[in-house]
Amino acid sequence: MLSQLLEQLGTKVLEVVTEAGDFVTVSGRSLLAIFKRPFDGRNFLYQLSAVGVNSIPVVVLTSLAVAMVFAVQLAYGFRTFQAEGLAGQVEGLAIVRELAPVITGLMMAGRVGSAMAAELGTMQVTEQIDALECLATDPVHYLFVPRLLASALMLPLLTGMAIYVGYLGGFILLVLVQGQSAYVYSQDFYKLVSGRDLIIALTKGFVFGLIIALVGCWRGYRTRGGAEGVGNAPTSSVVTSSLWILVSDFFLTKLLLV
Amino acid sequence: MPVIDVVNLSKSFGRKVVLDGVNLTVEEGESLVVLGGSGSGKTVLLRCILGLFRPEVGHVALEGRIVQELSRDELFEARKSIGMCFQMAALFDSMSVEENVGFALMRHTTMTLKERAARVDECLNMVGLKGTQKLRPSELSGGMKRRVGFARAIALKPRILLFDEPTTGLDPVMTDVIGRIILGLKEELGVTSITITHDLKSAFEIADRIAMLFRGKCLAVEKPDAFKVNPHPVIQQFLRGDADGPFLQDPPPPVSHRQHHS
Repeated sequence: MLSQLLEQLGTKVLEVVTEAGDFVTVSGRSLLAIFKRPFDGRNFLYQLSAVGVNSIPVVVLTSLAVAMVFAVQLAYGFRTFQAEGLAGQVEGLAIVRELAPVITGLMMAGRVGSAMAAELGTMQVTEQIDALECLATDPVHYLFVPRLLASALMLPLLTGMAIYVGYLGGFILLVLVQGQSAYVYSQDFYKLVSGRDLIIALTKGFVFGLIIALVGCWRGYRTRGGAEGVGNAPTSSVVTSSLWILVSDFFLTKLLLV
Repeated sequence: MPVIDVVNLSKSFGRKVVLDGVNLTVEEGESLVVLGGSGSGKTVLLRCILGLFRPEVGHVALEGRIVQELSRDELFEARKSIGMCFQMAALFDSMSVEENVGFALMRHTTMTLKERAARVDECLNMVGLKGTQKLRPSELSGGMKRRVGFARAIALKPRILLFDEPTTGLDPVMTDVIGRIILGLKEELGVTSITITHDLKSAFEIADRIAMLFRGKCLAVEKPDAFKVNPHPVIQQFLRGDADGPFLQDPPPPVSHRQHHS
């Protein structure tokens, strides 16, 4: 009974370690493949549009909603000890340092990472990835690299945009609804934020972009088992990359803020 | 020196042994047809030849180079001289027919757009699909997809062609069309080829030699005439297409005799 339990536990641990090893290997191969030729510029441009341009509405709506809700909470909280003036400052700090990069990362994991996993998963089960191999084309180079570069480039830009939309969200709530001074709000929003905070936010965006593309592509690439496998790949990609976004956010904050 | 040399090849998935000590050689310009029931390891054999699967025992040598010893870059280089036609065509569904056929040309040659278009046109002509360049794979029938797959495989002028069940699931007329195309490609291009098929008619038409795989083992590799009269009970049962015999692991359902009452 005990030996059976240990055996099962051991098998599970081995599975997890093997998967982690495979992810690291494939990620390493994709990073090295960036420098290989030929570079598929057309595919890269398409991915820039798919990852970046097409994600603008989602990022605008979510960051606007989050910024407005956060402003409501701050206005309400600070009013209890007559410090409404601090709401704009804290709003700016929270949006630049945490909310914009993390919300953008999580939304992109759901929108872009899952699409990558589903697309590559379908290609895997319909033998299109084998066909690439047979046409002397490394699937990691052809499929991973444009997605990886597009994601690493567009996530910081989307994060920057989320910060600006967050500023507008706070403006709508604190200035237009709560009646604070527009001048004071615009000064307060950036008062506690330094240039380094902006760099940290964009760095987080870059790292989250790498995580989303690598996990999404890897999950798709390793899809097995037909329709069920293709169905599981995006789910698993979203869960894994969201988890890693949150974990890496903690460590990045700790490392970069010191 | 044989172009393809399969030596003592064994491959298993978990406990299931799919290939068990298979030996095969294919000489230059020769067309080998591999017959065998479903699950007899035919597709796995092709995948081992292409280096998509790594065998546990034995090896495959392509033009004297052992596939399993090649680095990934060397393997891709070796694959440029092999054209693989997949069972379900495996066309890139986000690309048009033209982009599918010209894919390898775009990746591995310095051809201009015009030269590429001319080569794509030439390849599509060879498989009887002139003027389909702008169609998407979703607009093609099963037989057309296979033929686009053939055109894609021959675009780089490979020295070896591998066909994985090219006629499975097609109607008899289209099966004959595909058989003729394979025969035409063989005569026109003079390539070395391995064809996996269940279709005996086209098998005997295109084969210089026929191999029979059965439960992971190679029962016979011989010329079509000799193969036809091979006394092995499994081969004879396969040629007859009969349910009774040693071919099936589980006994087939009994034949029901209807009682006719007048």
